Amino acid sequence: MISSRRRPTAMISRLGRQEGELIDRSRRLSFTFNGVEHRGFDGDTIVSALMAEGERIFSRSFKYHRPRSVLSATFHDPGCIVQVGDEPNVRAAHRRLRDGMAVEAQTGWPSLRYDVGAANQLVGRFIGAGFYYKTFIKPQRLWPTYEKVLQRFAAGGRVQASSPHGTYDKRYAHPDVLVAGGGPAGMAAALGAADAGANVILVEEEYELGGHLRFGGSEDLVALRELRDEVGAHAGIEVMTNSVVTGRYDDNWVAVLQRELPQVAERLVKARAKTLVVASGLIERPYVFEGNDLPGVMLSTAARRLVNLYAVKPGQQAVVFAANESGQAAAADLDRVGVEVLKVVDPASGGELVRALGRGQLEQVELGDGSIVDCDLLVTAVGWTAPTLLVNMAGDRPRYDERAARFVPGGALPDTVLATGGIVGDGPLQALVAHGRATGTAAAHRALGRADSIDIPELEPAPHPALFRARTHGIVDYSEDVYSKDLVAAAREGYDSVELLKRYTTATMGPSQGKLETINTVAVLAEATGRSIEETGTTVWRPPYAPISLGALAGRILEPVRYSPMQPWHDSHGAKPIVAGQWIRPEHYGDAAAEVRNVRENVGIIDVSPLGKLDLRGPDVSKLLNFVYVNKWSKLDVGSVRYGVMCGEDGVVIDDGVTGRLAADHYFMSTTSSGAQAVHEWVENWLQTSFPSWQVHVTSMVSAYASINIAGPRSRELLGRLVPDVDLSPESFSYMQVRTGTIAGVPGCHMWRIGFTGELSFEIHVPAGYGLYVWERLMSDGKDLGVGPFGLEAQRVMRLEKGHFIVGQDTDGVTQALSAGLDWLVKLDKEDFAGKPELVWQHERGDGMRLVGLQPSDTHLVPAEASQIVSPSGAIEGRITSSRFSPTIGRSICLGLVSARLAVAGTVVTVKLPDGRHVPATVMEHHAHFDPEGSRLRG
Amino acid sequence: MIRIPCPNCGPRNSSEFSYFGELGSRPAPDAVDPAHWRHYLYDKKNPAGWTTEKWYHASGCRKFFAIERNTLTNDVKSGRPFGVESSSEESS
Amino acid sequence: MVARSPIRARGPVGREHGWEVSTTARKGGLELCDLTPYSKVLVRAGVLSKAAEVLGCALGLARRAPDGTLVAGTGPGEWLLVSGAGTWPALADEIGGGDPTALTTVVDVTHGGFLIRLSGADSRRVLEKICAIDLSDGVTPDGAVFRSSVARIVCDVIRDDDGGVRSYLLHGDRSAGQYLFDAVLDAGSEFSIGISGYREKEA
Repeated sequence: MISSRRRPTAMISRLGRQEGELIDRSRRLSFTFNGVEHRGFDGDTIVSALMAEGERIFSRSFKYHRPRSVLSATFHDPGCIVQVGDEPNVRAAHRRLRDGMAVEAQTGWPSLRYDVGAANQLVGRFIGAGFYYKTFIKPQRLWPTYEKVLQRFAAGGRVQASSPHGTYDKRYAHPDVLVAGGGPAGMAAALGAADAGANVILVEEEYELGGHLRFGGSEDLVALRELRDEVGAHAGIEVMTNSVVTGRYDDNWVAVLQRELPQVAERLVKARAKTLVVASGLIERPYVFEGNDLPGVMLSTAARRLVNLYAVKPGQQAVVFAANESGQAAAADLDRVGVEVLKVVDPASGGELVRALGRGQLEQVELGDGSIVDCDLLVTAVGWTAPTLLVNMAGDRPRYDERAARFVPGGALPDTVLATGGIVGDGPLQALVAHGRATGTAAAHRALGRADSIDIPELEPAPHPALFRARTHGIVDYSEDVYSKDLVAAAREGYDSVELLKRYTTATMGPSQGKLETINTVAVLAEATGRSIEETGTTVWRPPYAPISLGALAGRILEPVRYSPMQPWHDSHGAKPIVAGQWIRPEHYGDAAAEVRNVRENVGIIDVSPLGKLDLRGPDVSKLLNFVYVNKWSKLDVGSVRYGVMCGEDGVVIDDGVTGRLAADHYFMSTTSSGAQAVHEWVENWLQTSFPSWQVHVTSMVSAYASINIAGPRSRELLGRLVPDVDLSPESFSYMQVRTGTIAGVPGCHMWRIGFTGELSFEIHVPAGYGLYVWERLMSDGKDLGVGPFGLEAQRVMRLEKGHFIVGQDTDGVTQALSAGLDWLVKLDKEDFAGKPELVWQHERGDGMRLVGLQPSDTHLVPAEASQIVSPSGAIEGRITSSRFSPTIGRSICLGLVSARLAVAGTVVTVKLPDGRHVPATVMEHHAHFDPEGSRLRG
Repeated sequence: MIRIPCPNCGPRNSSEFSYFGELGSRPAPDAVDPAHWRHYLYDKKNPAGWTTEKWYHASGCRKFFAIERNTLTNDVKSGRPFGVESSSEESS
Repeated sequence: MVARSPIRARGPVGREHGWEVSTTARKGGLELCDLTPYSKVLVRAGVLSKAAEVLGCALGLARRAPDGTLVAGTGPGEWLLVSGAGTWPALADEIGGGDPTALTTVVDVTHGGFLIRLSGADSRRVLEKICAIDLSDGVTPDGAVFRSSVARIVCDVIRDDDGGVRSYLLHGDRSAGQYLFDAVLDAGSEFSIGISGYREKEA
């Protein structure tokens, strides 16, 4: 931080009271600019306060580091982008001054006045059109260096990692009519719509409604007050100021950015507007001539804003180049406040502006008659750009109106989008208001589905001389430092389409996104190629209309997190959490290997609540199961469960799990945790679209039951202590059966004898509200049995020891069922099931990969998962899909997918490790490395 | 964001739905040859214009339905439900 | 034996019908209340079935049965019945009988979902931040029901005004209960939202 210093004496240029001024002279604010103390008034923008204190240079240009000052005095002013505290890229000609602001120029190294980069001006030829592509590409190895240097020189503020996290917000809105633009036509449109009974959102980019009326004369100010009062009093209109419609998307999905709200930094409003009224006004277009970016050269509306809104005197001696009324009005304003207007040059009567001269700021203007005028202010008024962005986003293509020398909406708008005000045409205030009101009424009628048609009066663009470039060359794009001669050169190089030219030269691609530059770019290209502006066409304007911070786009953080009913216990018992989809699950409780040993020797319990669970009821459930699973389901007894695998129609494995029959017409299906939602959709899809006559009701019960797997030789004893009403003995409750009963007093629990871990185990599904209670009872009542919790990692080790594959880990998006080693399960003699034809063909071909058990020769080497299996020539023959060190058998174990011809027990394959080493591993007879006969499981 | 006219819930943001692609018909699995089956699996017409698609209202009624959508303009014609869920079929 | 909501009870804690509940007093104004212990029953039947006639409300609408059970048409041929904790809605038994024309099923989903109530004049403005449905009285008046995404969780939303005060019941998958409760609190912070304890108003 630079310490604050008192600023040196500067020329104070604050005027006396102006009729429409926004500043509150009773409220003084102090702030710093580049460490120097300044003062301003409440209501000032950063730039108006600085100008009032004599500051003129606010930034350095992007490439040539030319000093830049006010051009348009609006949000989009390319020369007025600064850093405020830790906030970069603040639009200083828009942003209201706040007490204590620390404002710094973003460009200018080492300082704004003495900028090393300004030397680039001397080597301008070097960085003309396409300079990035031509200059900095070779040699490639120097690119990192170039990048660093360029970053230092280029515009852009500093983002500080230590900045506090801002609060951003989003909300949805459903207005009947949304009006984009709060000038006279926009206000009138809002009133017309609201009077017709519509609820209206009126969005204005500036801090207050009014548009150009605000910096007009007394009559304008009276009209402004009337309109503004009427809008403010209307209950049907919600006004959003300092807000901008950043885009219009399909079906009138309109994004509105609200800035500087009391509660939040920014809010993105996602409005679904029945109709949209675009009233975005006109943007004054700069003139292209030599020296047009010198501080002291500005647009007529900029001069009028400075004088009338902020009581700032923009210069002492002025030349005004006025091709329209706005120029004349600026000249009158300047004259009124004591600026010496040396010359008003009117092109209609032959006046010509040739160039502006000066070192660092405007000193002289050369006119067409050869005369040189000494001055410090040059105001230009050469015409307007209709910012047709929003109507373009609705599908309309702008049309060039040669008479008015500007593009206008092409007239191909959908019924739900209307336009009014300056982008449509010109006229006296009454005409704008009448057009706005009628348009708003029509918009309301369309929104509310009323048939009565509304007569909208004509609003035609007024004739205007076509003035784009003087006889000299100058800046076209102020943000990107693109000169008209660069565009001419690019056109000569063959970039003669406006879209190509834009990308090659970066013209219109800077912070103002073409609002000031596009039409001049088109005009210069038209001139260079000898085509008309109409033939040349314009670039397509895309969202956003104005920059949106990433914070606003992110909004409130809405990332769903799901917890099991037992999560509070896991949290308080040292569980290491892992994220699995939206779920938070325990990976282990400190020592996964010890958890494995405890399950193999005593008993462990694991929280498997995220398992997919579908309640299936109806007379046709078995038909459904027969169709979605590859095996047969017609003969499943009540009280039995069966393992099943589902395939897609391409024969690729998509899920597996067990399904039990609880009653004649009542089944309970479990799916993988990650596949829970997809399987639900898959099942519904078949039922609803292919088999609508089947009577099956499917209910997802994922969260209705807390699911706990109790595994280990002592699991029967543990569960038996808590279950009074079900005989758990192997004789009456055997492997692959299901019972419903009471656990620890909780009725309606399902108990399944299944075993992913390969141990004797019971998977219990307890009504979720009681999950934590039952878990705690298992832990306390089984203390003497050595019960302990185990996490996902221990389960992964044990299932690998047992050779159970995991869909999505040991299979991938092309693994068909027979490749997963499911030949024993797939019943090709079934009439039909999802994916059957592909599996028939795979069976006939016998090709593809095969999932096999693998053991590295080095018993302590665990090949990383995804290590390749390679042939002697280096060809890929497969890969390791799962690998762990087995604490139970004391060696490394794997599952892997290998080419079918290698999938023969005893084959030694070569595993290529990530570090490049080749190690041997043997294909095993079984997937299971431990207890392949399953005697523990069935005990 | 376009809106999808759910036949049950009315127009909703497309983010509430899952897209299941062009509506096709499943060949009889016993009589089919690989070329025909894979045409069903993978070959989509993807026309520049009107097409019939299957959507699922995942965040709403959890029903599948078909709509006609113009891929050029995103114009959508009203959706129709599948199967017996519609009352007209049940009453017949 | 104790049942717990997925939403951590704040403030003083008591027991109601075997459930652990917060007993924080109501403070009025904008407030959020965890009603997960309420009985929730999902009914599926044909839209023209006898069951549908007994339930007596169409998709998108809710009504109260004489015993106080809230019946909400949550989907085509789908209803959610909400009654006081520890109760079983009488309607569920009435429709339990088989209907030969269309499959009718009744599933107790009490433990499958969270149920929270957001009430207060500003409740619309809170919900508008996290739900894209038009909450104006014209589109979703008192008694309206819809299922949509709320803070990216699929919820049944029932507009169920409470003595003239705007109020919404949100019902969704239990596992996301804590997340959604926190998301609504966060959205409501701008309007000074408070938490109130469990209460037995519905039954």
